[in-house]
Amino acid sequence: MTAVTTIETSTVATSSRGPRGLLWTMLRVHRSALWFWVLLVAFGAGALLWAHGPAADAAWAEFRRMGCDSGQPVLGCDYIGTAYDRYDTFSTLGAGVLGLAPFLAAAWAGGALIGRELENGTAQLAWTQSVTPARWLAAKLAVPAALLATGTLTLTLLHRMMWSTDGQLRLAMGSRDWYEGTTFEANGTLATAYALLGLAVGVLAGLLQRRALPALGTAVVGLALLATSIGTLRPYLWPVETLTAKDGYPEYIGMVLGDGALTSTGARVSDPMCIDNAKCLAKHDIVGFYRDYHPSSHFWPLQLVETGIVLAVTGLAVLIAFRLVKRRTGAAV
Amino acid sequence: MTGTAIEAAALSRTFGRRRKAALDACDFRLPAGSVCAVVGPNGAGKSTLLSLAAGLIRPTDGTLTVLGQAPAAVRERLAYVAQDKPLHPQLTVADTLRFGRELNPGRWDAKVAERIVDEGELEPDARIRTLSGGQRTRVALALALGKRPELLLLDEPMADLDPLARHQLMATLMADAAEHGTTVVMSSHVVAELDGSCDHLLLLGAGRVRLAGPLDDLLAAHRLVTGRADASLDSHTVIESRTTGRQLTALIRPEGPLDSGWQATAPTLEELVLAHLRAPQAPVLRLDDVREAAV
Repeated sequence: MTAVTTIETSTVATSSRGPRGLLWTMLRVHRSALWFWVLLVAFGAGALLWAHGPAADAAWAEFRRMGCDSGQPVLGCDYIGTAYDRYDTFSTLGAGVLGLAPFLAAAWAGGALIGRELENGTAQLAWTQSVTPARWLAAKLAVPAALLATGTLTLTLLHRMMWSTDGQLRLAMGSRDWYEGTTFEANGTLATAYALLGLAVGVLAGLLQRRALPALGTAVVGLALLATSIGTLRPYLWPVETLTAKDGYPEYIGMVLGDGALTSTGARVSDPMCIDNAKCLAKHDIVGFYRDYHPSSHFWPLQLVETGIVLAVTGLAVLIAFRLVKRRTGAAV
Repeated sequence: MTGTAIEAAALSRTFGRRRKAALDACDFRLPAGSVCAVVGPNGAGKSTLLSLAAGLIRPTDGTLTVLGQAPAAVRERLAYVAQDKPLHPQLTVADTLRFGRELNPGRWDAKVAERIVDEGELEPDARIRTLSGGQRTRVALALALGKRPELLLLDEPMADLDPLARHQLMATLMADAAEHGTTVVMSSHVVAELDGSCDHLLLLGAGRVRLAGPLDDLLAAHRLVTGRADASLDSHTVIESRTTGRQLTALIRPEGPLDSGWQATAPTLEELVLAHLRAPQAPVLRLDDVREAAV
């Protein structure tokens, strides 16, 4: 018996149009997740557009009806009206989708995208269907990354649109500052960067755990730890500005990092709490007060430095994931 | 001599922190074009061996060559059906076949795949999760054969099929393999399902090769003998012997002519395998002319 195998490549006439190869596979296998994401983005976009349009208009109308724009102090204006409440709810929902996306991405990537496939053997099925594990992993990362980025960038643009036109309203109501967690992320590149980090962390957790449920848990906990530690660094990613004043504290504006008293040598000391007691101030040699803060002009520097860090961590996770797959399966020659 | 489909040299694979050996320094050679049975008790290392050959895991030590290259380099030329027949449960049968087509550009033979599915009278719109174990096996085999492999690795392929479906699928498989000269490597602990279809045997026990070689040669090297309990078999290698009353039955490897007192018959595959499984201390017999590593 001869050992020569004839490879008859009777290529089938592939008539259907649309995505091919691994892309088709990704979209077909993860169709429900794809629909879920599309609906979630649509929901977030709807909430933001509603907040930007009808809800903001209603809040303004309410504001005027209560006479709060008269310049005179009106007692009722210290409370937030129901229309503004509704505006606030919608914008929170829209920004909330962006805040939730990284964790959803991590849970899904760890559990469904990678963990389950390694657990039930469908990953191995793909690897024995003429797809190298490296190409398989690349598709597992690239397709969701593109869809995640498209969704989060869309929501970010809508959030920015709402944010930039509704500034007066927020100012009038005295709610929401540019540096607050969800708002800060939703207004820049960070929401997208964290979503991609979630995907990468999820993929890595899936490869490490090789089972759906443990991978899901590891991914979410891992992302929470990473996001918290990077978030803690946030105020220190750009040099702060300092305001000083002789009598009492300077204005409280922007993202404040710290404040205290200044002595005649210019040394920073903790406030001895003299209030206006001149004797007490003299005794402690207090000649002024300082306050460290980030003005709103620091939004983009802070945003971009943090985005860079998040993307670097994402890249590291992706690199480890590829090395792991190659080491386990025998490097593709 | 024909070509080589799989060749292992000092192949080892350990698992876990305790480094338990699933395969321990295995040497063997499986000729191309053969239908090879990998037999052994549960935990003998059969699945590990097939996973290694499919390029899904890496050996801890030693080398494994598949179709003359590293397993990872010949993914396109081999097919593998894992023991639990993994398929995406949410896909339909038709989508599962398209999955094969999309992932094997230029190789996919839709006719073969569809024929195997059609023979099982499967609805193309049926989702995989609604199929019975046997139907899933059929779809998994369709995926494997559709890519026109030169080497087909099957891990316990017929375990969850009823006897009729098993017979039918085995016939399809063998006909396809014979037609295209496909090498088939099939693991099983059900020896009966291999009899009559395989021509090469690899018996594993506790991660080591116990028997390896063409089935006919292996069978010819053994004799099932019956004689008086006090007769001597000292000059032969006794694999296993049993005494019932005054009669002794033994599976031996004759090392010369047998005494006239013995009644000798050729053992069946099942008798050969069972005797070796019951006697783990029996010496290894390799008739697969492994080229010893000449350093």
